[in-house]
Amino acid sequence: MSASISENDQVIVNRSDAAIRQLPPVPVIRIRPSRFWENIDFAELWHHREVLYFLIWRDLKVRYKQTIIGAAWVIVQPILITAVFAVFLGRLIKVPSDGIPYPVFAYSALLLWTFISNSILSSSYSLVVNSQIITRVYFPRIMIPAAAIGVRLVDLMIASAVLIAMIIYYRVPLGWQALMFPIFIIHIGVLAMAIGILAAAFNVHYRDVGTMLPILLQAWMFASPVVYASSLVPARMRSWYALNPLMGIVEGSRAALFNLPFDWTSVAISAAVTLGLLLLAVHLFAQMENGFADNV
Amino acid sequence: MSRHSFAIMKPIIKAEGLGKKYYLGARETVAPTVREAIKQTIAHHAGWRRTLPIVWALDRISFEVYPGEVIGLIGHNGAGKSTLLRILARITRPTVGQADLFGRAGSLLGVGTGFHPDLTGRENIFLNGAILGMNRHEIVRKFDEIVAFAEVEDFLDTPAKRYSSGMYLRLGFAIAAHLEPEILLLDEVLTIADAPFQKKCLQKIREASRAGTTVLFVSHKLTSIEQLCDRVLHIQSGRILEEGKPAAVVGGYLNQIATEANGKDA
Repeated sequence: MSASISENDQVIVNRSDAAIRQLPPVPVIRIRPSRFWENIDFAELWHHREVLYFLIWRDLKVRYKQTIIGAAWVIVQPILITAVFAVFLGRLIKVPSDGIPYPVFAYSALLLWTFISNSILSSSYSLVVNSQIITRVYFPRIMIPAAAIGVRLVDLMIASAVLIAMIIYYRVPLGWQALMFPIFIIHIGVLAMAIGILAAAFNVHYRDVGTMLPILLQAWMFASPVVYASSLVPARMRSWYALNPLMGIVEGSRAALFNLPFDWTSVAISAAVTLGLLLLAVHLFAQMENGFADNV
Repeated sequence: MSRHSFAIMKPIIKAEGLGKKYYLGARETVAPTVREAIKQTIAHHAGWRRTLPIVWALDRISFEVYPGEVIGLIGHNGAGKSTLLRILARITRPTVGQADLFGRAGSLLGVGTGFHPDLTGRENIFLNGAILGMNRHEIVRKFDEIVAFAEVEDFLDTPAKRYSSGMYLRLGFAIAAHLEPEILLLDEVLTIADAPFQKKCLQKIREASRAGTTVLFVSHKLTSIEQLCDRVLHIQSGRILEEGKPAAVVGGYLNQIATEANGKDA
């Protein structure tokens, strides 16, 4: 049987003038071919801000439903890695940890490391995983990798509870400097965003990115003072070493937590590199997002 | 029965020379590896691309749509109807030309976009609603209406993966139907619904149009097109072949199909 409307309820198109809304004088949406240099439309981002919230909410909800211990995994991952490094590097090799008990020393940085590496990995495949949405509905695509990072930020908050427990257990004296710690969290969040959206955009065009990333990340971890103190690095190499934006963040957050002197130069270099990367990433993303629906 | 004279009004959609070009066999799909990408890039710069066959999925068309109009798009598969909707929905960019929209567009180019199988019906209403452009308050306000329209009251707390394809479709359409955008873009979404639900959806589209929503509607169901639309565009090979009153354009399209069939028989 056909679903057509029968003869007796024939459509009567009879709209009142009032029903037809007043049109705005200028177009609400201008559709144009892509240009070489695209700008970011902040008004559009604001208009679609709720999508970000719901995408984060979706991922947290689904993870909670699909795993037995749910949120606990977020704590288990950095704890296990810390245990491994504490035994091999802390006990056996006795890596210097600036006089701080090695487990707290390592966990404070592994917490941040787990956040940034998971952020980059999950945002790198976020666009590909959400291809069904990308090819069928419009909202600023940056929301998708941003949501992947938002989920990891929630993880970081949960895992921070363990850091607080360890600080109490090892009787690490906290000073006013500890108030700086959240600033470094924001800093690493911005860095994760910059690298994450770049990885996401490139992964749409070249799936090799997803394969290469774990190796690059591993190398990056050892190139950053995560499981050792940067005092291990020879002085003549320090200025090169500081170009790694993670160095200023990790050392800075340790200085905040353990009442050590801040190395403001490396913090400033890290902030500059992070901002530069973010600007580059956001513009490249705006450029590449026009092609996502045709390529994903 | 008074009909608006749309022509004296200001258009809500104004498209000028809108075109989308694809190269056949080149970079239309993703390069699977860097090696392939390098090969393609070299080929591109060496000028191979110029010799590749070009397809204008949409061949520089211009048209205007007036507020409250219901426009039907008909034509064979691959004629460019979906490409047009995808450009207007901002999913893909045109290669040339431009279009100005004087209102927000909501699109239903697939049903249940972004539904997650592990989330319940209730959760998916919020997720899908947000993805389609509703804010939380709007979703809360229309929640009961959406549920009643989709007839899924008893399955609200069941994961979507246990839904039948009919329920999935009904819920997906119900959410989109309550979007209330100024411009509604619909791509052949009702074909898989059963007859009573299709009727309900057409009724809903008609109500939206009466309330002032502009609708662009792709369908192969010519009876619905004739009953629902104020104007029909027959699209072929990316161009507007014929445009006008539903009965005339649909009639022309049917004649063309008949001629093509005869041609094949001969």
